[in-house]
Amino acid sequence: MNPKGSVLVVGAGIAGVQAALDLADGGYYVHLVERRPAIGGGMSQLDKTFPTNDCSACILSPKLVECGRHLNINLLTLSELVSIDGEPGDFRAVVRQHPRYVDTGKCIACGLCAEKCPKKVKNEFNMGLSERKAAYLLYPQAVPLKYAIDSKNCIWLNKPGRCGACAKACPAGAINFDDAPKDHLLEVGAVVLAPGFSPFDPSALDFTGYGRVPNVVTSMEFERLLSPSGPCLGHMERTSDHKEPKRIAWLQCVGSRDINKACHGYCSSVCCMYAIKQAVIAKEHATGGGLSAHIFFMDMRTHGKGFEGYYNRAQTDGVVFHRSRVHSVIPGKDDNLIIRYADEHGKAAEEEFDLVVLSVGLELNRNAISLMDKLGVGFDSDGFIVTAPFAPVSTNRPGVFVCGAASEPKDIPQSVVEASAAALEAERLLAEARWSKTKTKEFPPERDVRPEPPRIGVFVCHCGINISSVVDVKAVTEYAKGLPNVVFAQDNLFTCSQDTINQMSETIRRERLNRVVVASCSPRTHEPLFQETLREAGINKYLFEMANIRDQDSWVHRDAPKMATLKAKDLVRMAVAKVRGDEPLPYNSVPVTRAALVVGAGVAGMTAALSLADQGFKVHLVERKDRLWGHARKFYRTWQGDEVRPYLEDMSRAIESHSKIELHLNTTIEDASGSVGQFKTSLSDGSLIEHGVAILAIGGESFKPRQGKWNYLYGRNPNVHTLLELDKRFIEGDQDLKGLGQAVFIHCVGSRVPERPYCSRVCCTHAIDQALKLKELNPEMDIFMLYRDIRTYGKRERLYQEARGKGIVFVRYDLEHLPEVRDEGGRLLVRAHDPVLDRYINLHPDLLVLASAVVPRDDMGRLSKLYKCAVGAEGFLLEAHMKLRPVDFATEGVYLAGLCHYPKPIDETIAQAKAAAARAAIVLSKEAVPAEGVTAQVNPAKCTGCAVCTQVCPYSAINIDPATAKAVVNVGLCKGCGACVASCRSDAASLKNLGNEQIMAAIEAATEDVVIGPEGLV
Amino acid sequence: MPDEKRLDLGKLRTKLKKHIESAVPGINIDYCLTCGLCASGCPATDIEGLDPRKFLRLLVLGQDEEILKTNWIYACTMCQRCKYACPMGIDVGRIVYEIRGMRPKEQRPKNLQRSCDLQKESNSTGIPNEDFVWVVGDVLQEVRNNEPGWANLAAPIDKAGAMYYLNQNAKEPTVEPEEMVPLWKILGAAGIDWTYSSKWWDGANYCLFTGDAMDWEMTVRRQAEVVDGLGCKYYINTE
Repeated sequence: MNPKGSVLVVGAGIAGVQAALDLADGGYYVHLVERRPAIGGGMSQLDKTFPTNDCSACILSPKLVECGRHLNINLLTLSELVSIDGEPGDFRAVVRQHPRYVDTGKCIACGLCAEKCPKKVKNEFNMGLSERKAAYLLYPQAVPLKYAIDSKNCIWLNKPGRCGACAKACPAGAINFDDAPKDHLLEVGAVVLAPGFSPFDPSALDFTGYGRVPNVVTSMEFERLLSPSGPCLGHMERTSDHKEPKRIAWLQCVGSRDINKACHGYCSSVCCMYAIKQAVIAKEHATGGGLSAHIFFMDMRTHGKGFEGYYNRAQTDGVVFHRSRVHSVIPGKDDNLIIRYADEHGKAAEEEFDLVVLSVGLELNRNAISLMDKLGVGFDSDGFIVTAPFAPVSTNRPGVFVCGAASEPKDIPQSVVEASAAALEAERLLAEARWSKTKTKEFPPERDVRPEPPRIGVFVCHCGINISSVVDVKAVTEYAKGLPNVVFAQDNLFTCSQDTINQMSETIRRERLNRVVVASCSPRTHEPLFQETLREAGINKYLFEMANIRDQDSWVHRDAPKMATLKAKDLVRMAVAKVRGDEPLPYNSVPVTRAALVVGAGVAGMTAALSLADQGFKVHLVERKDRLWGHARKFYRTWQGDEVRPYLEDMSRAIESHSKIELHLNTTIEDASGSVGQFKTSLSDGSLIEHGVAILAIGGESFKPRQGKWNYLYGRNPNVHTLLELDKRFIEGDQDLKGLGQAVFIHCVGSRVPERPYCSRVCCTHAIDQALKLKELNPEMDIFMLYRDIRTYGKRERLYQEARGKGIVFVRYDLEHLPEVRDEGGRLLVRAHDPVLDRYINLHPDLLVLASAVVPRDDMGRLSKLYKCAVGAEGFLLEAHMKLRPVDFATEGVYLAGLCHYPKPIDETIAQAKAAAARAAIVLSKEAVPAEGVTAQVNPAKCTGCAVCTQVCPYSAINIDPATAKAVVNVGLCKGCGACVASCRSDAASLKNLGNEQIMAAIEAATEDVVIGPEGLV
Repeated sequence: MPDEKRLDLGKLRTKLKKHIESAVPGINIDYCLTCGLCASGCPATDIEGLDPRKFLRLLVLGQDEEILKTNWIYACTMCQRCKYACPMGIDVGRIVYEIRGMRPKEQRPKNLQRSCDLQKESNSTGIPNEDFVWVVGDVLQEVRNNEPGWANLAAPIDKAGAMYYLNQNAKEPTVEPEEMVPLWKILGAAGIDWTYSSKWWDGANYCLFTGDAMDWEMTVRRQAEVVDGLGCKYYINTE
């Protein structure tokens, strides 16, 4: 059987979008199916994202636009998967596309249909807090940017002939009431499920007051209340009277960690962080400051990278944290709410709030449940899709993979990691079919325009009436005709429509244009389209400029049309002046050496190496020690109960026998140079490796508290162990453990402390699993866990519940009540404080286990410098973007996975290693990778060799050539940011097509020919 | 830290917890997350220095003597408000009931125990059954005579075959008999066919609050026998 080279991705939230992009960029044709009329999922509804406080829509939008424009992604919105049969490599899927009633080929998203539509319905994107029309755009940045008509509410569709206002209003004739459902039969090699989550509905928890008393909202509703595109346009208001709240309470664990009324025993993993974020952002929103933000919680779970620091900052910034789960929300005066709570020692207090936010948990997307049943993928008792610890993105149906919150509640970075990992699994299955179904854009050879005098064409867009209702487009076009070197000018109703694009291409050829200006919407969305048109017409795409006369003119000067027309003329004149000096630029590319270097042969490195080698790519796996397995050698079992050893042995066999993997044991990296596609690395064994990509999987260390505050007699009393030392005894089957009477675990040893202010993520789960193992060995053993917050996130919460159920006692401590450990004649005495009873307790353990921190490797700095990678404040390697690029470095072609990124358990390490492999495969699957065309250049006659530019360049793309003592730019690395240009004291550095002459020409054009209009200069 | 407040847990013994777990199937005290939700919602929080969370904590840490000694078990009304919202569904009221039952009778609140003891004889205030029958008849007559429109009001006793059986809190016929009338009127206006009984008519079940399973079972069983004897189909409990 020949596997199919296409993949079906179900669900287009951030996980589905990332999987689709990785697959499409890596050589597969993707059908991306989304139930809603636009892609973006839950992330598009968020206001800000933790821990970076980025605007969610702003960082998501470019990925959505890329998805929408991608030649190898077939976007199927308003669609659902009906059935799938066949086998891995060769599935047949039926996808039903529901009618949009708007022709996407014609819709120009002017919004007139929605404006004229008389039918108002609840806006589900705003969680029902505002209204939309039956003809609507899901949200302002929607991709595709096309309106839809909701058949349930449309008057015409329910009573034909009764309305039709949208059809009358639409200037593009895009409304099609006869639209009908279409079934698509798709042949695909693999399926990636990314159906995402539904927020828990708290209506059933009557004691929360939700749906019963005013001003109790869910966290998702509150996101919309904060959002600039939400119902109150970013002016935070409460729902009952639109007043700005001054006192807000967040109640944690609503619908999570509750086996009574909510029936969800698991932890939703993200709510602690999003509540803190909402509290911080709400404080920023509050006019005149002074918002009082209170978070009522049980365990604070800030276990991700950068989270603990965020929590600490929130405390410093005045967010009030109450360690108390609240029983009920009681209505008070003026639509306010009373919360009575008991502090940790049992003192009752009462506070009044004007808004209560329920931090609701995550469930599997309710719309997806029946589909998943049909697909035959398994569910666990919490209703999430089942995966295995050593195959974290594989469902129990071969060829069907899963990513994102559908398999366990998880945050965006982890969803993005899994999306790339799921893409990798599909690629591995379909390696021989790579590039078999993809399309490539073919362009005609380009005309050399350099000998020609400038012949500039100007295309001015009406954008339906978006521009022409304010700006006199005809007048601007006539004006353009009179500008120097302009040989052609024309106005179009929609410049971006397919027929106008074809016509533009025709015009460029016919009129022998060699420079083009389009005056229209925004380069943000349309520049690539017009540049492509130039290439289709046979001229270089860099001979193009855009005048933004919609977003920056007609939309913002609606009340001053005459001035707006003058401004449009100014913008066109500037663009013409600038384009006149534009030169054709090379389409830079770097040939790819199709081999990977993987540094470190622990679980991350081994997984990454196998993931690439199985696709046929050569891999050099370099390990400084004399054996494989890294830290995993010391692990007894995963929290799901699978022993690690057999898995490691399988991997060893696969690696040692793999024809594509060259293993370098006892070897270190000596030096490295080059950039994406063409790295050269010299090893301590004297060999020089050429490789196109590098994956750093260099691991971490276990903190050993040999001295200082966190010592707890470690190394001084033989019965004091670290977690890994106890694991060793489990692996060896140590029978003495059965005879122990009492065991005590101390959590957070060296983590979450001033000198190491991060959470090590893995230790709570690891320690609890070990305690359970001890209980298996001897059910009568007394076990005490001295902890600060239990952080058994996601499904791991079940383990915590099991541990309590077996009588393991959890005693919380804080930094004011640290446990004390003494040696009393060889016998251990542990003194701890129980905060519930506010009493001290004495324990006499036979075994004391320290859950000590995971720390970064001490030689991290050297390796990171060699590959130009950043290191974060906590000493771990720093990815390109914490949220959306979790396995990439800012340096292209270098990726990371495993403990060197942040402490993480084996399943997450495997997922991250696969994700890194997927990202690397995008480069390795190509003959050459494109590089930036607008790059810096250095005039050697002016360069003094001062080397300031080499220090400011964030991409290490500029160096001093020792032979000439002049700066030279590596175009493969240069991103055209201009930092060198700005820093050059002798004016030697410049950016191509953005030189002084061109910028000055545009500025001079801006100031010449200024006409003061009848309304004066405003 | 005074030593008497320090808990020595060199060997964790949780005899009482284990006893309750075997006496109450399905209860899992160990699941307690010490989240404080119960204490937040409990009207008895911070009375006698305890609250539901501390109460459970004492059990989990094996402080049995303290549990058996505390009068907090009588501050808790066993209302189960905590259990309703407890994320682990732990029924503190049910545990309190068990502990109340373990308290020797002479150490229980006197009025509570006395009411239970009286009820085991006849009813919780101890008025003779003849007095109950006489009071009902007397009050009924007064209403019939004096209140316009209620000349036909009924308050049947021992009416065999009535559809509904109604019990009566003993406090009312004893000290405020006219308080019985509104319910008679409602039942009469609704056209309900009902009856009292002349023995074991007291619906209050004080023995439930002493924690004595045998005692309150006996109270309920005797009523059930009366209802069955009269052949009533429905039992209306006014408590």
